Amino acid sequence: MRTLLFLVLVGLLSGTRPIPKEVMDSPPEYFVLEWKEGTRLHHEPTDFFIEIDSFGRQEVFALVDEKKAPILYTADIATPVCADGECKLMNMKFYWTLLGEYAGFDRYPMMPLTKHDHDVFEEEDYQKLHRLLNDDKSPLGRRTIDQLVEKPTMRTVNGVDAISGATITQVKEAVVSGALYSCYTAWHLVHGEIQAQLKANTISVLNKQMLVAMLYSSNDEYQLFALEKFSVPQYQEHYEQIALAFKTSTPLVRSIIAKRLISKYNDAPELQRPFWQAFDKVDSGSRSLLLKAVNNAPNYVFDILSQQLGSMSKNQLKTFLGHLFDKGKMSAEIRNNLLEFANSKNETYSYLVMGFLEESK
Amino acid sequence: MKTLHYITLLCVLLGMNRLIGQDLLVEAESFDNPGGWTIDPQFEQQMGSPYLLAHGIGEPVQNATTQVSFESPGEYHIWVRTKNWVPGDWEAPGQFQLKIGEKTLDKVLGLRSGWGWEYVDKMGITDKQIDIELVDLTGFDGRCDAIYFSTKYEEPPSAFKKLVEWRKKVKAEPNAPSLTKSYDLVVIGGGIAGCAASIAAAEEGLKVALIHDRPVLGGNASEEIRVHTLGIYGNFERILKKLDTEHYPNGSAEAKADQKKRDDNVKSYKNIDLFLNHRAYDAKAEDNSIQYVDARHTATGHRIRFTAPRFVDSTGDGWIGFWAGAEFNYGRESSETYGETWEEHGELWTPTEPDDAVMGSSVLWGSKETEVAQEFPDVPWAMPVAKKYARVAGEWQWEFSSPDHNQIDDTEDIRDHMLRAIYGSFANAKKDSLNSKRKLEWVSSLVGKRESRRLVGDHIFTFNDAKEGRKFPDGVVIEVRDVDIHYQTVLEDEENPDFISEALFYKTPQYYIPYRSLYSKNISNLFMAGRNFSCSHAGLGGPRVMRTTGQMGAAVGFAAALCKKYDVNPREIYTGYLEEYLALIERQKFEKIPESKK
Repeated sequence: MRTLLFLVLVGLLSGTRPIPKEVMDSPPEYFVLEWKEGTRLHHEPTDFFIEIDSFGRQEVFALVDEKKAPILYTADIATPVCADGECKLMNMKFYWTLLGEYAGFDRYPMMPLTKHDHDVFEEEDYQKLHRLLNDDKSPLGRRTIDQLVEKPTMRTVNGVDAISGATITQVKEAVVSGALYSCYTAWHLVHGEIQAQLKANTISVLNKQMLVAMLYSSNDEYQLFALEKFSVPQYQEHYEQIALAFKTSTPLVRSIIAKRLISKYNDAPELQRPFWQAFDKVDSGSRSLLLKAVNNAPNYVFDILSQQLGSMSKNQLKTFLGHLFDKGKMSAEIRNNLLEFANSKNETYSYLVMGFLEESK
Repeated sequence: MKTLHYITLLCVLLGMNRLIGQDLLVEAESFDNPGGWTIDPQFEQQMGSPYLLAHGIGEPVQNATTQVSFESPGEYHIWVRTKNWVPGDWEAPGQFQLKIGEKTLDKVLGLRSGWGWEYVDKMGITDKQIDIELVDLTGFDGRCDAIYFSTKYEEPPSAFKKLVEWRKKVKAEPNAPSLTKSYDLVVIGGGIAGCAASIAAAEEGLKVALIHDRPVLGGNASEEIRVHTLGIYGNFERILKKLDTEHYPNGSAEAKADQKKRDDNVKSYKNIDLFLNHRAYDAKAEDNSIQYVDARHTATGHRIRFTAPRFVDSTGDGWIGFWAGAEFNYGRESSETYGETWEEHGELWTPTEPDDAVMGSSVLWGSKETEVAQEFPDVPWAMPVAKKYARVAGEWQWEFSSPDHNQIDDTEDIRDHMLRAIYGSFANAKKDSLNSKRKLEWVSSLVGKRESRRLVGDHIFTFNDAKEGRKFPDGVVIEVRDVDIHYQTVLEDEENPDFISEALFYKTPQYYIPYRSLYSKNISNLFMAGRNFSCSHAGLGGPRVMRTTGQMGAAVGFAAALCKKYDVNPREIYTGYLEEYLALIERQKFEKIPESKK
């Protein structure tokens, strides 16, 4: 009976589907991007599809805004999930970003995901699945399902490294308990070849507005992409937004900005100011990268940094003092800042500044 | 007295011949009995000396003891060279005291920021021989480099260069070691690569010196660091099986079984002179040819000069090449340099602009369940690193690399950062009642490094060589293992702990490393084997694992044998003797038939 029902469902869900007519005016239920108020998206056909064994092609649509600018990609997916000879149907609507990254999913309330023991997914299970799908480097990616259900072995077999206990633990922590097969299937659907195709499609229609929108998004992949494509004039035109990204985005985005600070703003020293002013607001690694640019930085930078000595690590302080020494002259204000720091009882590295002041007398 | 103490009479003549000062420098690593303290020579090049470390993972270790001799009685000022390894707004974690004779001196040590001298007290010394003890108070990695007695109230220098000069003067140490030893091949670094190089060369009849700065062999694979060996055997299965490990979980005590196998096997070669606990500290090249390597015993300080026609740098950090002036690289090349892009992972794989980022160092650790409740102290000094992270063991992902740290210059800070991560995360885990009977079992005090200097050879092995399975006429090392490059997860989310990494794996076909990546481009008699071989940052991603580096070592050892046979340098094996070299590699795959069976 169960087999019969399954076949009926397969029949219903396979085959080319019509373009969905409805306007999308609210975000997917599980979503990694921001959803701007008032956004209305329409489905547009693309040349892309996901091929699923015995189910055929499942079409991928672009979701475009009122101005026809692509915002997301989406596909309704019906796929069998088979474990131990028993197959169940998984129905989900997946979303991808313009760069082909996972963006989110909608579930179908009438067709909930189920676990191995037939319990339906709870809210926390969907949340966990969402987190898993959002991890593009999950160990699920480079393992076969058979490897993941095997017990870890202690030996290297024929030179191929057997899966380690550490990986098994990592996988266990990441997947929904009792739903390894569903998680595995969903992850590989989302992170399959379709990703590169969607990104290539976006690049083929890319325009200036889309790039600027990416920079102004809070998604770090979008920001990285925009920063990679921006010209020097664009860096300068949007410097305030780039400085904001420097303050608020991930250390990876910051590292790119810090590395390009001089090359992009060499002829516009004043535009560098907000980046240097953010020195004590960013992580330690970004501060170190910023300090690598200090030698070519405008003079006012030394005033700014001399007020932020307390946020510097030992190496950062040494670097800063080294450059200060090389510059040869110190304003009275900088000297005062250094003196105050050197005499502070609460600063771990005050002794370094004290030594520097003594040497540079 | 067994231990070598450095006594020097600094006589200052003021008008008349009056002895007004006597100094005595006691190196902590030279104590007669280190007790529960361990000798830590890892950071000698950065802070000046091996030192004693009270690595009690939270329980004070047994006193280190020694006996020293004074030439004359008198009032002595006492200083101890130490540092507070986590300065901040808390009790210093590594505190200890000095006991002289029967008296424990009040002054608590280990409180100053940065390595330098802490003044202890003034004390009247009446006995010619007196016992000194280091009394650990915390079990959390207090450290003592040296104790200095002086009749003059004049603090020794703390600045590194001045300290080095001062030490030389106080020890009255001549520039050259008094003992010189000569070999056919000197291998520096007893990791898997160095061991394999030594065995291969010894099997071909070379007289080999193997210099290693630890008491046991294996480097990252040793029971002291406990990383399992990965990769394939390639052409050198017979040799590598003498050295490698089972696929135990990283950090497992099972590493001990392989330790014995490895040490016994290397020691079974009569023509390998094994210099354990010796750390090389200099190499001198003339006309781009290394003349000698100097090494010092990590406890006694006894020095030996090693001369040989050829040397193998298996130090990991490429120290021999560095001292000799070999070209080297550090950091990530731009993606354009060798075209090593991987679109999917972009900047995390290879950057648009080159930078100093490298894969990080690991410190492995573990805990165990016991039958009774176990306490673990509060470690407020660890929490700024560990934050809320709670774990009971650490695998390879416990790794630290940051733009603020150089993997060579800042190794001690890197190790200490990992110790804070470990102690803090375990303290967090202990707050869970499920872990009430859990006890910290083992925390390595050694840094397991992945990447630092990469010496430049005639060929620089890149990711593309692996990706395309590029064949070389001299492709002596074979591998099938994925190329994996690590990055710190904090890069993607500031909320992640900064001591946890993630790996990006690129599936490759079988690939080959050419012999030309295993000798220096500009130092004519220098081989390299191990993670400091000639490669790009991304190129190191695959073959940095220890069966592969072991293959490099064996390949180099056999090449050294042919170098000796024809009295040529490593490059000439490629240009003039490649056929014979490859035939030798084929032939060595099988045990030699003993003379009696021929």
